[in-house]
Amino acid sequence: MGKKFRINSTEQCDVLIIGGGGAGLRCAVEILQKRPGTRVVAVTKVGHVQKSHTTTAQGGLAAVDPRDPIDKPIYHMFDTWKGSDCAADQNIIKKIIESAWDQIVWFENHGMHFSRDEGGNLSKRTFGGHTLNFGEASAFRAVFEADRTGKGIVDTLWGETLREGISFINQSIATELIFRGNRCSGAVIFKQKEGRFVRVMAKATVLAMGGSGQLFRVTTNCRQNTGDGLALILQAGLPIMDTEAVQFHPTGIVGPGILASETLRSVGGILRNRDLEAFMERYAPKMKELAPRDLVARAIESEVREGRGVLNPDHNIEHVWIDLRHLSDHVHDVQIPEVTGFFRKFVNIDPKKELCPVRPSVHYHMGGIPTNEFGEVQKSAEELISGLFAVGECAAASFHGFNRLGTNSILELITMGKIAGEKAMDFLEVDSNEPPGDAGEMTFSLFSRFMEGEGKENIGRIRQEMQTLMTEKVGIFRKEDGLIEAIETLKELKERSENISLSNKSLTMNQELIQRWELENLLAVSIICAQGALNRRESRGGHFREDFPERKDEFNYHTLAHMTEFGKVTLGERPVDMSIYEARGENYEKFAVIERKY
Amino acid sequence: MENSYTITLKIKRYDPDSKRSWVQDYELEAGRILRFTDVFRKINNELDPSLAWNSSCEHAQCGTCAVRVNGKPLLACELLVENAVAHFGTTVFGVGPITVAPVVRDLIVDFEHAYERVNKVKPYIIKPAQNPNPGEEYHIDPRDLERYVEATRCVNCFCCAEACISSHKGFLGPNAVMASIVRLMDPREQAEEERLELLYSEEGIYRCHTSMACSFVCPKEIDVAHFIALAKAGKFK
Repeated sequence: MGKKFRINSTEQCDVLIIGGGGAGLRCAVEILQKRPGTRVVAVTKVGHVQKSHTTTAQGGLAAVDPRDPIDKPIYHMFDTWKGSDCAADQNIIKKIIESAWDQIVWFENHGMHFSRDEGGNLSKRTFGGHTLNFGEASAFRAVFEADRTGKGIVDTLWGETLREGISFINQSIATELIFRGNRCSGAVIFKQKEGRFVRVMAKATVLAMGGSGQLFRVTTNCRQNTGDGLALILQAGLPIMDTEAVQFHPTGIVGPGILASETLRSVGGILRNRDLEAFMERYAPKMKELAPRDLVARAIESEVREGRGVLNPDHNIEHVWIDLRHLSDHVHDVQIPEVTGFFRKFVNIDPKKELCPVRPSVHYHMGGIPTNEFGEVQKSAEELISGLFAVGECAAASFHGFNRLGTNSILELITMGKIAGEKAMDFLEVDSNEPPGDAGEMTFSLFSRFMEGEGKENIGRIRQEMQTLMTEKVGIFRKEDGLIEAIETLKELKERSENISLSNKSLTMNQELIQRWELENLLAVSIICAQGALNRRESRGGHFREDFPERKDEFNYHTLAHMTEFGKVTLGERPVDMSIYEARGENYEKFAVIERKY
Repeated sequence: MENSYTITLKIKRYDPDSKRSWVQDYELEAGRILRFTDVFRKINNELDPSLAWNSSCEHAQCGTCAVRVNGKPLLACELLVENAVAHFGTTVFGVGPITVAPVVRDLIVDFEHAYERVNKVKPYIIKPAQNPNPGEEYHIDPRDLERYVEATRCVNCFCCAEACISSHKGFLGPNAVMASIVRLMDPREQAEEERLELLYSEEGIYRCHTSMACSFVCPKEIDVAHFIALAKAGKFK
C-alpha cells in the first residue's frame, strides 16, 4: 500500500512492563505498593490480562512452610538443582526458594482462594521430583488453588493493580526496544485495536512476554506464546540463553494440547500403540508407565517414529493411546475426573469405554533472556543493559536450568517479578527522557516489509510446516544430521515467508499482520533453538541427543546466542553459578555436579 | 457417526476502516472433533486469512473466544463440530461476536469495555479483616470456602452477561455481581457496606429477572443464578 508509517504519539511513564501475566503483574504490584503514585504502564498482547497464559497453570506452587516439622528449604534447593540437570544457577535457586513462603502468605493475604485442609490451613500436595532429605521421600510442598492455581495468581494480581492504579494497554505488542547508549528507555508499542504506533518512554522497562510453545506442533501453551520477547531481544542485538532447553510433557491431549496429567499413569493407565501393544514394557520393563517423564516421552515418540502411531485425521497429528478402560468407576469418578473431563469435552471420548489419544506436548521453555539475580538483562556474561529487566518464562536467570520441576514455574514467576520490581525502583530517580529520533524506524521497516510482501505463500501453512519440522527434528529426539537439515529448512521457510502477501493491509486489528510478525519471531527463535541443540553435543534435561545420549561436563555452561542476521548465529557461554557448593556450608556436597537419577 | 462434516459458517464480519458490516459464508469440510477455534484457523489457512477472531488458551480457561453461535453465547474452543451439529440440528451455523462489548473487527470485541463492569465491583479485598496471625495465612474453614469457591472459577468470558435479559439494560451483569458476592462471602473481606451499596443499587442485583440464563449458558457450569439468589436473600455468611 506504500503508506508511510508514523509514530502516532509519545507517552512518558516510570515503569513500562511488557506482558501482563503472573511475572509482569507481580512486578507491577510490588512497585505500586512500595511507591504509590508511580506511573506503571503494562502492555498485554491479549484482550485483557486475565486472559494471560499464567491462568492455565493447574497444579500448584512449591514452597516450604517454615512451620513444617520435616521439610526444609535446602531440600527444595537440592531438588531444583538436581532436576535442572545441574544447569540452574545456585544463587537464583537460593534466592527464590528462601523467600518462597513469604510469597505464598502475601498471595493468601491479598485474597487468593487457596484450597484448605480440615484445619483451615493451606492444603499441600506432592509433585514429581520434590523430596525430603535429599531424595528420600516425597515432600508435601505444593500449595494450590484446586486445579487452577495460575488463575488464582493472575486474579489476585489483577485485583491489586486495579486497587493501586495502573494503566493497561491491552491487545498490543512491543515491536522495538528504545535505547540511549547502554540504557533501555522504553519501547515502541503497536496498539492493535487502534492500529497506532506509540513510543512509551520509561525509566525502567520490564519484559514479561511469556514462552514460545508455538514453535512446536503440540503444545500446552496459549496461542500467543510465540517467542516474542526472545525475538525482541535478538532484534536489539542482545543474546538469548539456553534456547535449546525445551520441556516436553509426555502426554498432551491431541487437539488442545492440554496435559493429561501424570496421575493417569499412576492410577494404572496403560500406553498402547497402533497394534494396541502395551509398549512401555519394551522401554522400561520394571517401571513401565511409571518411568520418568523424559523416558516416557521418548518411548511415545519412538513408537510414532517407527510407524506404530495412530493418525488423528481431524488434527492431522500422529499419537498413541492411553488406555483407561480397565480402571474402576471409582478411579474414573474420584481420582481422575478433571483429566477425563478434558477428553470428554475436547475429544468427545468416554475414557471409561474408549482409548484416549495422547502425544508429547511442549510445555515450558527453560531458556530465555539471560538476566542476573535481580532480573536485569545481560548483554554478555559480565555486562548488563541499564534499565532493562526480564522476568517469567521469557527470561532465564536461571532457576530451572535444563529441566523444570512441576510447581516451580509459577513460584519463579512471582518471585522474580517481585525482585525485579524492587530493583526497578532504583531507576525511578533518573531523569525522564526524550526518544532518539530514529526510535520506530526498525518497526516501520519491518512492517513495510510485511505489508509490501508479494507472492502466494500463506502464513498459517508456513507456521505449520515449521511446527512439524521442529517437532520432528528439534523435538524430543535430536541428532546431528536432523538438526543440520532443520536449520537449512528453516532458512528456506524464512525465504518463503518473504513471499507472503497479506490479504488485509489495514493497520487496525489486523490479525493477519500480527500473525506475520509472530511468524518472524517464531522462525528466529526456532533457528537458534536448532543451532543451540546442534552445538550441544551431549544430553541434558529436556535436550536429548540420540548421538550423544550422556551428559558431559565440558557442557556445564549456559549457551548464549546472538543473531544479527537471520541464520547467522554466534554462540557464547555463561558459566553456571555454583555458589551454594562453593560456600562449603552444610550439605554443600549435594550441590556438586551430581547424577540426575531417580 | 460421521468422520467429517461439510459445514457452512455464516460469519458476521465488520471492517473498522470502512465501518461496513456483512455476513460472509464459508463452506468447508471439518473433521468431527475439530473445535470451532480449529475451524476458524482452518478458514485462515485455507480460505481467508483476513478473518479476525480471538482466542488465547483454547481450553476454556480464559474466555477470550466467546462468540455467539446460532444465537447462543459459548466458547468456540469448547464447541466440537459433531457436537454443534447434534446440538443445533444443522450443519449451518451463524457465528457472530458477543454484543456486550463493541466489535473491533469481525469476531473480535473490545474486552476492556466489557471488563469495566467487573472493575466497578472491585474484584479484590477492599478492606482486609484483622488477621489473628499476622505473617501467616488466614484460617478459612473448608466448609465456608465450599460455599463460594465455585464462583471463583469464573473466567469472565461474559457469556452470562450476553445471555442475561437484563444486563443489556442497566444491570452490571451476572459475572460482575458474582465477583462482588464472592468477596462478601470471603471471611477476609470487611467492606460489606460498600459492597452491599453497589449490589443493591440501581444497577445491582434487583435488575435481575431470575431468567437463570446465566447458569444455563455458563461454559464453566457455574450456577451463577444461585449466587445471585443468595445475594437477594442476603445470605452471605
